[in-house]
Amino acid sequence: MSEYTREKAQSRNHAFSKKTTTRIWKETPCDDNPYITESVLCHGYDLYELMNKCSFSDMFYLLFRGELPKPNDSKLLETLMIALINPGPRHPATRAAMNAGVGKTMPVHILPIAMSVMGGDYLGGGEIEPAMHFLRKQQKNDPITVANTLLNDYNNGDSIAPGFGKRFGGIDVMSQHIIEQLLLLEGSKPILEWAEQFAKALQSNGIGWLTTGVAAAVFCDLGFQPKSGGVLFQLLSAPGLAAHGLELGYERITAMPYISDEDYVIEK
Amino acid sequence: MLSKSKPQDIQALDNNRNIIRSKTGGWRVGEGVYSHGYSMLEELVGEKSYFQIMILNATGKLVERRLADWVEAIYGCLSWPDPRIWCNQIGALAGEAKTTAVAGTLAGTLAADSKMYGMYTLLAGMDFIQSAYKKSLDKTTVAEIVDQNIKENKGRLKIMGYVRPIAKGDERIEVMERVTKKLGFDIGPHLKLAYEIEQIINSRLQENMNINGYISAFLSDQGFTKDEVYQLLSTWVMSGVTACYLETLHKPNDSFLPLRCDDIEYKGADKRSID
Repeated sequence: MSEYTREKAQSRNHAFSKKTTTRIWKETPCDDNPYITESVLCHGYDLYELMNKCSFSDMFYLLFRGELPKPNDSKLLETLMIALINPGPRHPATRAAMNAGVGKTMPVHILPIAMSVMGGDYLGGGEIEPAMHFLRKQQKNDPITVANTLLNDYNNGDSIAPGFGKRFGGIDVMSQHIIEQLLLLEGSKPILEWAEQFAKALQSNGIGWLTTGVAAAVFCDLGFQPKSGGVLFQLLSAPGLAAHGLELGYERITAMPYISDEDYVIEK
Repeated sequence: MLSKSKPQDIQALDNNRNIIRSKTGGWRVGEGVYSHGYSMLEELVGEKSYFQIMILNATGKLVERRLADWVEAIYGCLSWPDPRIWCNQIGALAGEAKTTAVAGTLAGTLAADSKMYGMYTLLAGMDFIQSAYKKSLDKTTVAEIVDQNIKENKGRLKIMGYVRPIAKGDERIEVMERVTKKLGFDIGPHLKLAYEIEQIINSRLQENMNINGYISAFLSDQGFTKDEVYQLLSTWVMSGVTACYLETLHKPNDSFLPLRCDDIEYKGADKRSID
């Protein structure tokens, strides 16, 4: 059918690594079985020492950044983790978890289901990487000028820039309050401060921070890479998603609304 | 603090509370089930093939049987039970971890939403052939299309749908060419162009079209958009993943490629203490 004879597929014989490498984790075997771990290093630190001397958020930071955080960074991350621990029962990902729960989906599936939805480009992990790129690029410019430029082209949609926009037609007030709390913390937060000026310049138009912008700004200030941002955001929201899903798992199938036939309109 | 919302925006949200308006279809208890205007239980189930129904749900188009059969054949082309392929290995690892079949199958399928292989690459494959076709209508030659791509990618050919990781050449194309012929499809303008591009690439770099390129061109000729193609192939690798899941599910624990501690090479910081 094609105009020349197709040759048989041949292996490219790529030089694949003999071993997988990691800079994160070193497992040392016990003396009599090379498969069984005796001790672990995480970025050089002994896990047993970390268990005794570190907070969970320090460990989280170490895992992704390779170093233990300075006290101000530790506090900033921990405060963000508390702020974002639950996207709330109206977020699409939480609703997915709750649907799984009330539908008696196996509890171990609740989190993967909710995480998939939490990876979306709207209010989810998919928005974090572009938001981090936006903030890292624009922070060299005057925030008011950037805001005014974007407002000139704004067509009244939900998002004016990744991580900033409208929620339910207005400013997401809760995100603004979270930012105000974060800005009270000690330590340098240049991107958060830049973005707050940017958001303030948008407010008269009913536009402001979204939770994704909050997370992106803090991740930037903590030195996380944009590519990691979406996954970190998913991780931070995981406890709330799981809790809501599990809660509904104990309830009857009638515990959540089911749209009646009268309110289900099939449009032509 | 005020949200500065407009009353009409809140009204618009209220208009959608507790009501679903669907352009796709739905179930009316005691009456029937509808998909894109068809009664599923009267006009589709038992009357149309599963792939016709699947394509209808994925695109809103009820295609002729032979096109659904063609898509079914393409699904066969990506249902290989080899656990070395990344998505399939996830299925095998899920079997090793004794997850359910659904969890293992879907975990592996999700992995093929990748920029390197699998479903996500179809978007780029479709983008390329459809824009190349438009350029060819504007009198850009095939050689110029290839040269342009090499120039845009700093001297390297980077066309989704050509060249393939792991192996050189793609045995699935010949099979699909036979299927295409058997089902009575002609070579349309996108596929013709795809072959012409392949000839240039082959003569210059001894590389070939891959299955993505073939599908993108063929389905462009059938009038599908890139999103429709991505949607109708969203579970493309699923069956191969299930096969690999089952392979390890029934084997003893820790028997799928067991790793000694030192099979993972640590290249991180030396041992240190917390100050």
